[in-house]
Parts: sequence; C-alpha cells; structure tokens
Amino acid sequence: MATRLMFENSCEVGVFSKLTNAFCLVAIGGSESFYSTFEAELADVIPVVKTSIGGNRIIGRLCVGNKNGLLLPHTTTDQELQHLRNSLPDQVVVQRIEERLSALGNCIACNDHVALAHTDLDRETEEIIADVLGVEVFRQTIAGNILVGSYCSFSNRGGLVHPHTSIEDLDELSTLLQVPLVAGTVNRGSEVIGAGLTVNDWTAFCGSDTTATELSVIESVFKLREAQPNAIVDEMRKSLIDSFV
Amino acid sequence: MVQYNFKKITVVPNGKDIVDIILSRTQRQTPTVVHKGYSITRLRRFYTRKVKYTQQNFFEKLSTIIDEFPRLDDIHPFYGDLLHVLYNKDHYKLALGQINTARNLISKIAKDYVKLLKYGDSLYCCKSLEVAALGRMCTVVKRIGPSLAYLEQIRQHMARLPSIDPNTRTILICWYPNVGKSSFMNKITRADVDVQPYAFTTKSLFVGHTDYKYLRYQVIDTPGILDRPFEDHNIIEMCSITALAHLRSAVLFFLDISGSEIVTSFKFVWFDILDENGLPFIEKTANRLSPESMFYPLIIVCNKTDLQPLDGISEEDKKLVMEMKAEAMKTVMGQGGEVGDDEGVLLTMSTLNEEGVAAVKNAACDRLLNQRVELKMKTKKINDCLNRFHVAIPKPRDQKERPPCIPQAVLEAKAKQAAEKERRKTEKDLEDENGGAGVYSASLKKNYILANEEWKDDVMPEILDGHNVYDFVDPDILLRLEELEREEGLREEEEEDDDFEMDGKELTPEEKEALAEIRKKKSLLIQQHRIKKRTAESRPSVSRKFDKDKKFTTKRMGRQLSSLGLDPSMAIDRARSKSRVAKGEVC
Repeated sequence: MATRLMFENSCEVGVFSKLTNAFCLVAIGGSESFYSTFEAELADVIPVVKTSIGGNRIIGRLCVGNKNGLLLPHTTTDQELQHLRNSLPDQVVVQRIEERLSALGNCIACNDHVALAHTDLDRETEEIIADVLGVEVFRQTIAGNILVGSYCSFSNRGGLVHPHTSIEDLDELSTLLQVPLVAGTVNRGSEVIGAGLTVNDWTAFCGSDTTATELSVIESVFKLREAQPNAIVDEMRKSLIDSFV
Repeated sequence: MVQYNFKKITVVPNGKDIVDIILSRTQRQTPTVVHKGYSITRLRRFYTRKVKYTQQNFFEKLSTIIDEFPRLDDIHPFYGDLLHVLYNKDHYKLALGQINTARNLISKIAKDYVKLLKYGDSLYCCKSLEVAALGRMCTVVKRIGPSLAYLEQIRQHMARLPSIDPNTRTILICWYPNVGKSSFMNKITRADVDVQPYAFTTKSLFVGHTDYKYLRYQVIDTPGILDRPFEDHNIIEMCSITALAHLRSAVLFFLDISGSEIVTSFKFVWFDILDENGLPFIEKTANRLSPESMFYPLIIVCNKTDLQPLDGISEEDKKLVMEMKAEAMKTVMGQGGEVGDDEGVLLTMSTLNEEGVAAVKNAACDRLLNQRVELKMKTKKINDCLNRFHVAIPKPRDQKERPPCIPQAVLEAKAKQAAEKERRKTEKDLEDENGGAGVYSASLKKNYILANEEWKDDVMPEILDGHNVYDFVDPDILLRLEELEREEGLREEEEEDDDFEMDGKELTPEEKEALAEIRKKKSLLIQQHRIKKRTAESRPSVSRKFDKDKKFTTKRMGRQLSSLGLDPSMAIDRARSKSRVAKGEVC
C-alpha cells in the first residue's frame, strides 16, 4: 500500500530515499520522522539505512540499486561506502563506479530484471550495471527525456511514467520492461515521477501533495492492494477524465 | 482558471478619512520650509509640487478602489448575478462610476491650478492658489462619501460570501423551505449548517465538500424557494435561483412528503426556472453557454420517509410526484441516456434515520460525473490526455520469467495485520523520548550487519600513516594470506629439495679440498680488504688548502725518500693517478 509523506517540507520523497526489494536507503534529516515512516513500514523485513552519498542528502538521485546490488557514484566517500557495506546484507553487492554522469539515480531506472539507462552512459558503466544489478540494460528515452530515472518509476509488478508518454511509447516500454505501464503524475500534477515516488514490489511512498486520484492510480498499477492495473481503464476512468480534462 | 476571492479587497475608508490620509501625507512627504526671499520660480515650484503630489495620491487611492472591486460584466455570470441580486447592479455601478468621476475631477483641478500657479507673482498668491486647489480636491472627495460608505459595506459583505467555484463538480440542493435541505447537507459534508424546525433558516448560500470516487464535489445548500411569480421573489430566494440558473451542477429537488400542505404546492413547476428548452431564464438574454451543456441531471428526492413512506401519500400528490419525475426523466434522455432508465431520478430518503442518504449522494455524483465526462469526451483536449487512460500491457518478448520479489515476511505480516497490529518502536519514538529533534542524535551504526556484534562501535579510520585506509581494505585478506602461506610452504619445500643437491657429502675428497682452499682464499681476501679499507681511512692526507705552494709533490717525496736511502718508485707509483691517458685516437 502507498504511504504519503514529506521530507522536511518537501514532497520529493524519491529524491531523499531509495527503495528496493532488498534494502531501503534514507537521507539523514533534521528529525527522525521521515526515517521512522520507512522504519515502521519496512524495518521488520529489510534493512532501512540512514546514509549520505558524497555528503549529499539527495541520495535517491545519486545511486541506483535493486535486490542484487547497489551502484554508487564516484563522489561517494570511503566511509560512506564502508557504512553501506556494513549495513547491507552480504548478498547485495555494493559497487562504486567511475562514471562522468554521477547522478546515477537520474540516469538509470531499474527493477530486479530490467534497467533503462541514459543514452550517453559509458559502455563500461553499462556492463557494470548488467553485472552488478543482474539486469538487461536498454538505452531509452521517456517522452523525449533522456533522464530516464527522473521521469519514471517501476517495480517488478508495474510502472508509472511521464504523463506525456505517447501510447506507442508506452506499449514499447512496457514490452521492454515486461511490466504494465501507465502514464501519470504524482504530487498534484508533478511530472517528475522518480522524484515524487519511490516504490518496490509490495509498498510505495509518495509526496504528501499526491491527490486521491493519483494515489489510486499508483496503487492499482503497482498492484499494491487487490486493485489491478485494469481498474484504471474500468472503474476509475470517469474520475480520471474529469480530473485531467 | 479564475479564482473568485473577494476577501482580498482592501478596506475602503470613508470620505473624511481619505482626506485626512492624503493631506497628512502631503504635509509629511513634501518640503515645508519656504521664505519670502526665495526666487519666484522656486516659490512656484514649491507649491506646484504640493498640488501635484496631493493629486497623485488621491488618484492612486481612488484607482485601487476602482480596480479591486470586481466588474460585474467580466466575472462569471453566477457571481455577476449573485452580486446583482445582493447589492443591485445599478447602485454598485453608480458608486464605482462616481468614484471614477471624482478621480477625473481631481486630475482636472490639479491641472488647472498648476497652470494658474505658473502666473503666481508672490508667495502669498502661490500659497492661496495651493490652498484653493487642495480645498477643491477635498470637497470632491467629501461629496463621494456616501458611495464610499456603500462600497465599504459591500466589501464587508462580499468578504463573507462562500467561495464557490462555478466550474467544478457541484451538487445543488434546492427547493421548498423546511424540507430538510440543510440536514442533508450536514449529513454528507462537514459544513455544519444551522438546522432549525422553521422555514428560511438558511438565508444565503452555503458550501460544503464531499468525496466520491476519488473526486471532490462541492455541495451548495440554498435557501428555500416559495411558489410565487418570479417578480415576487425576495433576495434570499433569488440567491437560490441564481445558483440554479448558472451553476452547471446536479440539482437535487427536495420534497417533504410527510406534510400534505407542502406536497400540494408542487404546482410551482420547476420549468418556471428552466424554459421549455431547458435553458434557464436568466440565461436567455445572455446566452453564453451552449444549449446542450445546460441540461442538468435532475433528481427528485422525497425526504422524511420516516414520517410517511412514498406509497402512503394521496393519489393526487402521487400524480404530482410522477409528473415531476417525468420531467426529470427528460434530463436523462437529453443526455442521450437510455429511455426508460429511471434509476437515480426519483429517490426516497430520511435524514433523520439516515435511510437512503448515501444512495441519494451516490446517484447525484454518478449522474453528474457521467454528464461531465460525456461533455468532456467531445472536447479536443481529451486527445492530449488519451495516453493517461491507457494501461500498456506487456507482450512477451522472450521465455524468461521475471517474477516479483516479495519477502515471505511481508506476506506473513499482511496476513497478521488482519489479526492484530503490534506497533514497532521507531526512531521517532526514541527521539521523542530523548529530547526531540535537534537534541537526540541517532547512531548510524546501530543496525550494522557484522560477523561480531562488538565490532559495531569500532572507529572507522579514514587516513592512517598518510595512506587511505580503504585502498588497503580487503574482505578476503585472510583467505589470501592463507593462500600465500600455502604457496610459501610449497616453495620452501622445493628449496629444501634444491639444497639437498648442494650438500657437501656428495663431493669427492679432492673437490672438498679445492672447496676448502677456495673458501680460505675468499675469507683471506675479505680480511685483506677490510684491513686495507681501515688503513685507507686512517691514512694521513694533506688537504689542498694547506698545500698552496704545491710543496707536497711526488718529486719532493722521491727526493726525500732517496736521501733516506729508500726506493721511491713504488710509493710514487701508488700516489700517481691511474687514469688512462687519452691516446688521441680519432674514432
């Protein structure tokens, strides 16, 4: 099920956290309430780790990971690397990579099987992604945006992409990723899906500006409750039309 | 989207206050000291400035009033008509017009007096002109005092108007007084409208909000309308009629079926308000909206069934109800709905025991939504959004299975959740217990997954002896060490094998002798060398600075040695440098 929350008055929760099926990284904030929301939901199952990357709080945009591994940019300090290594289970490979585009979270989007990558990414980086995360890598754009990580968010069960993605693109991406996809928004019309939403196979966290309609789309496409993606075209269709047009 | 917020209009001061404000500002903001001895141009400039400054301030003050009040023709017709009903458009326009005139008059006065001041020939003359100019401006403003007072009253009233958005999803509750409109409003929203057992408790429009199917609906409670000709309606009733006429909404017609007297007064048929084409009468003159959009979803709601069920009313009343239902059915057909589909047209409920309240709300929301969607499907804008109602289902591209990865614990927790939910003690709780945010500092090392619990608090050095520690960190170091040691062990064994061949036991006696000889010679050589080295260091040598006259030469040494009867050749030979002499060969 999806939870609405805020990081220090910012609704861009995907910027300050990274959620995967094997672990969850959370930025170090002024108070513990952001961390505790994740902790209450996840800590029984997977480790929830407070960390910074290269001294930054925008960890969700800097790193990329799934249940197999975690890729960190070259700006990560040794201590942070050691801290993450100590905090994450052994089956998660932590790897720091030398890549010019250091905001890996913006440039790469992945689930446990497939990854979309920025078109200008190094060939070596692509190989490292494939090896460490154990995924197939596709160089793609989403609605003309090369920052694939910012404009989409997907798990092994479904995905949400930029609202201007055309139907043909949706079908193509869906076939690549092998999950159902829907074009939508978070945070009351924000099109940076990756920044407003962080999701894994059984739970999602989105900014507290997210409207009820957006939340219900998220819950159905990621199959977080009983709802299936088809609900969007069936019972929710009218509400969606009335709120978008 | 235009937002209607009349709360932001600034206070309109009355005539006297405006005069005080402006004059004191002129006094404060312009120079005050003037002497007879000043040149006449300077005197004229001094007073011209005062006149102009005063005029400017009057202009600004009056302009803000004119600009801030909404123009009835420019705002949404609902608000236009509502303000007309409440304040009378003519009065309103007249008041604003007067202020505009006053503004122009003041500008003209200022212009005239500035011109006159150019001909002022003394301090006294200029001063008199200035006083006259300011005096006339103030008189003009004082004369519009009543208009200002009227506008201030209107401003106060407008600030209290409910913020109704004329374009959003709206449910309008209307009809006869004292039939339970406000009670219904209180049931489906949290507006907390006053409910009393007498007619006309509600005297103006009230707004509440309710949710249905992920969407927010604006619910408007209107004052009751009595059965009488249009011209006779009072202001309170006209508010309802304005809302009915202009808001594109689902209209709930409330009937009280418990009192026979009320039921018979149905005769006031609702198409008094809507003409035969379904257009509201106010709209007929200003036909802003297309006719098709003016079909409201109408719903007849029979309230107070707890007192009398619908079946129990008299025949003629029933006939009237059915008549109304037939009319309401037209709105269904008008939307292209199926003929004979009378669901959600005539509903019964009781706000007292809450029977059927939800059904009425759902029916209203549903029909309104259907109508809006149908309208929107015809617009061009829908094409831009079509992709958002599309769920892309993947086509299989290979045989690979890509299952989701949900830990067993999650599924278990989900199953458990239904039974009981034990709350985990989170960092937030710890923080609150230990002094709150900014005081409590959580340990980052708390949840480390390490082989040994005691390692958690170990200090993690970054730089040690000038080296970056991480470069030397190797998780497999023990394994590798073992491997290295094993390798070394192997090599040692091999070396031992090699030594075996070199052992002296295998040598013949002659060879042994030769070996002993060699070793002896070697040790001798070493000894000699060492002695030599020692003597070489202790040999006296004459530094060049004591040998300025170059007395200590080999020749002299040879002479001295010869006089002593020794052969100097060996010594000279040793002292001479042994460098090779260039033979002058050309390569």
